[in-house]
Amino acid sequence: MSSPNVGSLLHQPNVADKAFHIVVGIIAISAFLIVAYPLFFIIIASFSDPALVSQGKVVLLPKNISWYGYQQIFKNEQIWIGYRNTIIYSVVGTLLNLAVTLPAAYSLSRRAFRPRKVVMTLFVFTMYFSGGMVPTYMLVKSLNLLNTPWIMIVIGAVSVYNLIITRTFFESSIPDELYEAAVLDGCSHFRYFATIVLPLSKAVIAVIMLYYLVGHWNSFFSPLLYLNSDSLQPLQIVLRNILLSNQAMAGASEGASAYAQQLADQIKYGVIIVSTIPVLCAYPFIQKYFEQGVMIGAVKG
Amino acid sequence: MYQADAKGSKLNLARRTRIAGLSIWRDWQLWAMLLPAAIYIIIFCYGPMYGLQLAFRDYDFSKGITGGNWVGLKYFMQYFESPMFWPTMRNTFIISLFSLICGFPIPILLAIVINSIRKQAFKRIVQTTLYLPYFISIVVMVALLQIMLSPTTGLFSNALKAMHLIPQDMNLLGSSSAFVWVYVLSGIWQMAGWNSIIFLAALSAVDRNLYDASQVDGANKWQQVRHIEIPSILPTIIILLIMNMGTILSVGFEKTFLMQNALNKSVSEVISTYVFNVGIMSGQFSFGSAVGLFNTLINFLFLILANQLAKRAANISLV
Amino acid sequence: MKMTQLFTTALAGCLITVALAGCAGGGNNDNNSSKNTNQSASSEKVKLTALVVKHSLTKDVNTMQWLNDLQDSVGVEIEWQQISADWDQKKSVLFASGEIPDLLFNATTDADYVQYQGLFEDLSPLINESATNISQMFNDHPEAKVLAETIDGKIYGVPRYRSVWPDTSPTMFINKTWLDNLGLELPTTWDELEDVLIAFRDGDPNQNGDTTDEIPMDFDKITSSYSPRLLLGSLGLPLSNYTQNGYFVEDGIVKNFLIDDRFKTLMIYLQKLYKEGLINQEVITQDYSKYQSLARGDGNIAKVGFTWGWESGDRFGNELRSQYVALPQLKQHSDSTHELYWSYDHYQIGYSGNAVAMSSKTKNKEAAMKFIDAMYDEKTSIEVLFGGMNDTDKGIKDNGDGTYQVLPPADAQLDPGTWKWTNSLADMGAFYIRDEMKQKLTLGEDMQRVVEEKSTYDQLLAKADVRINVYPQGFMKYSQEDINILAMNQANINHITDQSWAIWMTDASKDIEAEWNDYVKQVNNVGMKQNLEIRQKAYEAYLAQL
Repeated sequence: MSSPNVGSLLHQPNVADKAFHIVVGIIAISAFLIVAYPLFFIIIASFSDPALVSQGKVVLLPKNISWYGYQQIFKNEQIWIGYRNTIIYSVVGTLLNLAVTLPAAYSLSRRAFRPRKVVMTLFVFTMYFSGGMVPTYMLVKSLNLLNTPWIMIVIGAVSVYNLIITRTFFESSIPDELYEAAVLDGCSHFRYFATIVLPLSKAVIAVIMLYYLVGHWNSFFSPLLYLNSDSLQPLQIVLRNILLSNQAMAGASEGASAYAQQLADQIKYGVIIVSTIPVLCAYPFIQKYFEQGVMIGAVKG
Repeated sequence: MYQADAKGSKLNLARRTRIAGLSIWRDWQLWAMLLPAAIYIIIFCYGPMYGLQLAFRDYDFSKGITGGNWVGLKYFMQYFESPMFWPTMRNTFIISLFSLICGFPIPILLAIVINSIRKQAFKRIVQTTLYLPYFISIVVMVALLQIMLSPTTGLFSNALKAMHLIPQDMNLLGSSSAFVWVYVLSGIWQMAGWNSIIFLAALSAVDRNLYDASQVDGANKWQQVRHIEIPSILPTIIILLIMNMGTILSVGFEKTFLMQNALNKSVSEVISTYVFNVGIMSGQFSFGSAVGLFNTLINFLFLILANQLAKRAANISLV
Repeated sequence: MKMTQLFTTALAGCLITVALAGCAGGGNNDNNSSKNTNQSASSEKVKLTALVVKHSLTKDVNTMQWLNDLQDSVGVEIEWQQISADWDQKKSVLFASGEIPDLLFNATTDADYVQYQGLFEDLSPLINESATNISQMFNDHPEAKVLAETIDGKIYGVPRYRSVWPDTSPTMFINKTWLDNLGLELPTTWDELEDVLIAFRDGDPNQNGDTTDEIPMDFDKITSSYSPRLLLGSLGLPLSNYTQNGYFVEDGIVKNFLIDDRFKTLMIYLQKLYKEGLINQEVITQDYSKYQSLARGDGNIAKVGFTWGWESGDRFGNELRSQYVALPQLKQHSDSTHELYWSYDHYQIGYSGNAVAMSSKTKNKEAAMKFIDAMYDEKTSIEVLFGGMNDTDKGIKDNGDGTYQVLPPADAQLDPGTWKWTNSLADMGAFYIRDEMKQKLTLGEDMQRVVEEKSTYDQLLAKADVRINVYPQGFMKYSQEDINILAMNQANINHITDQSWAIWMTDASKDIEAEWNDYVKQVNNVGMKQNLEIRQKAYEAYLAQL
């Protein structure tokens, strides 16, 4: 077949569309397989003999099944406290994040708002420059937030990265005419934001909500530095402690048993699953918001 | 003259305050909405900012964080003059540039593909699966690489060898030519799905009417992607590209460190691992702070550069 | 400009508010806590706070009966803060904030005392005054005092000493069952070793019908103690104290084996073995998990013929450990005349610094010192290391005749090593295990095996003499400036040496002989020369102190 023919074929909508969907299907299926196999591997590795796993003998089916890893994880009562704390920090923290980020993003998306340039510059600066760990710790200490649940909620209340993403979305996806029409109706910024902008921005709200939620969920360094009490520790810290207590000091000579190393190998896969499943469960509820298209025209009408 | 001047400035001042007053009065709601974020940034980001001095001082606890002797650029010079300056800069730059060039377009492609899948159930499964690797810790990620890429028992390396894509005696884990590829491709594997979420959201905001209208005009799917979808997510693409340019010298420490071995060290010794190696032997922070600050400065310069370019080319910018 | 000013003012305003809030809050807390202390002053016990960095296996220290008994007998009551992970990160903020507990167990390093001057108490006056046990340790083992003293003669951290451990960390293992199956003798030279490895490669010594699954030789990184660098001892090169970064002492001169001709000889030998397929092809790239699991084989089938390790049970697992025997140091050739050595690690294994430090803000320093010193008591020390002598802890049995016995694990599921780390502060505690304990204390089954296996090298280890051929790593003191130089140089050196040995070994096309001189020159230029000079000075200063 000569190439002009292909070209003209592609210009016929039904043939071109069919080709499009075939390409989409191929990419989607291959991407799916490439990602799915290692994930599947992690699952079977979490209950296979760790020695066989690290020797590459576990490929498609679990071998010498042992639930030792999960037993070790769940026999620790701390884990339930960890789950509870992480859920509290994530939910309350994310609500605060949204309450702070969304209005600020709206303000900064208004081109008529004069200080926005200066404010944005000052904000962006903090994405790159920070005073470091010790001064931040001193600040948290002087605010009396050390070893309180509040620090886990307050720290990172606004991420400039997410703020910029939200602002960009407000700027590019919500037509200015909407605002002009609203102003003619005597609408204030507050009302316009609450009744027009937020409902039209479900997609981006869902995304930054996911970003913030997962950020809180995976947060490890802040609790490590700022929390001491066992009763306040989030899941990630608890899981890390479980993992470490099963791990020999790698290469240490004086008798810390290397048996432990193998058990730790199994636990490290189990930990991934234990910590990810709740996020996996929450995902569909968020996902639906950025999958559904928004009919801006409908709102306009 | 004096009178007039004073009068003039008074007038000016009055007008200025009036204007400022007007703008604050007029925009008070916008100010109010900005306030919580501003307070947070001022307290938690600018509050500790005095710590930046550490890079220029010898840390002396008894004199407080900022009380140590001012040594100026001593620690910066230590790094610039070290024979490891160029190798670490080069390695860092190569890894992150490759990550950016290869890693940035793929999430966009994935988003468009996922968005075009017609079967809802399949779409959901693909999307959910693709974002999951993001949750794998780096330790497990590197352990997976160890298992899959082992030259003797690794499934993936054996498959590549069977297809004659790599030489039979190739050890993907211990070859300086493969390191960057392994690092970058595994990074894409882990991050692409997660990074596609934002583009997916941007795509979902595309006005359905545009599709309908284009269909009436006889446009096919390819044309819709080119003329509707890409233009409408372009602002998001550009903003993210700018922000990614600002991480051009940030190569994750943990992954590089765990993947490093004696055979790939010539390409895997990056700024962060080098600083770690020096720091752990000397037990002091000033060198690390100085190199970190230098690193940040370069990143920031790249960000500004990218921002200016985007402003000129597409009138889109961060600030 | 204006914006900046405005901003600065706003920032200052906020900071002041923050500071005020902080002060007010802090004030309240202080009031509360002082009330508490007033109340508790009526009881006779001295309250102390302590932080302990322990192994993550180790149980809650509050449940250690011997420790509670010890507190009672000294008349102190300690509120413990226990850390078992990521201490380095926590440490920097805790120390920088200036508020630390009264006692810090296993939590400090020499660099901390330099970095956080004034935070820690100089213990030497207190030790001289009242600490009889610690003073005894310093008298019996002057090296311990040298280890503890900073460059200006102060003691911030009390060291620990234990006698019952062997004097070397690595043992060279060969699979005796495989040798028997092939009708071979234990090799005594490098040449014989090569023949044996070839036989391992070509035959089926594990007798599972597969001639390809045997790995003749496997080891950890060459920078680790368990690697072929031990064969440098065949060439008359005395390794000592884990030989970190390659430094050793020969005839009273500090040298580095990475630029020593004998290392070149070794690399040529290893290159040959690797080329012949006698060394695990993944030896450089495999991670620790794989390295460990490989030697444990597949059920009863061993996979590795020749390797190094701490102890056979630890290296090969309980099923396979009986197949392996400790192999004496090899000669290079049967007619070689080099003096043979084995890595003498007594200083690293027997001593370690900074078992405990004290805050300079401690209110009752005498009581705190009394408690510390009590841990260094003869009997208490072995409880610190192996667990309590009582029915709750079940760590040690007192035989009643001045001898003691380490008990087998009370939890039958645990191996002795794991039990020790669970049940006691173990090697991370503060203790002085006297030399007499070698006779008085019966060790656990695992440690008995260690001592027995290591006895293979007793003769070679007897050649160690700190003035001639032992590099006292860790006992040598440097100024902060020197530490910085050493660290910068070492990073540069390692960048070259790591790649060089790895490429030499794995790439048969490299002519080591031809590249050697350039390599040595390069390594010297990026700082090896300077580091050797600094270390030589420190070594001599150490000898002068003895």
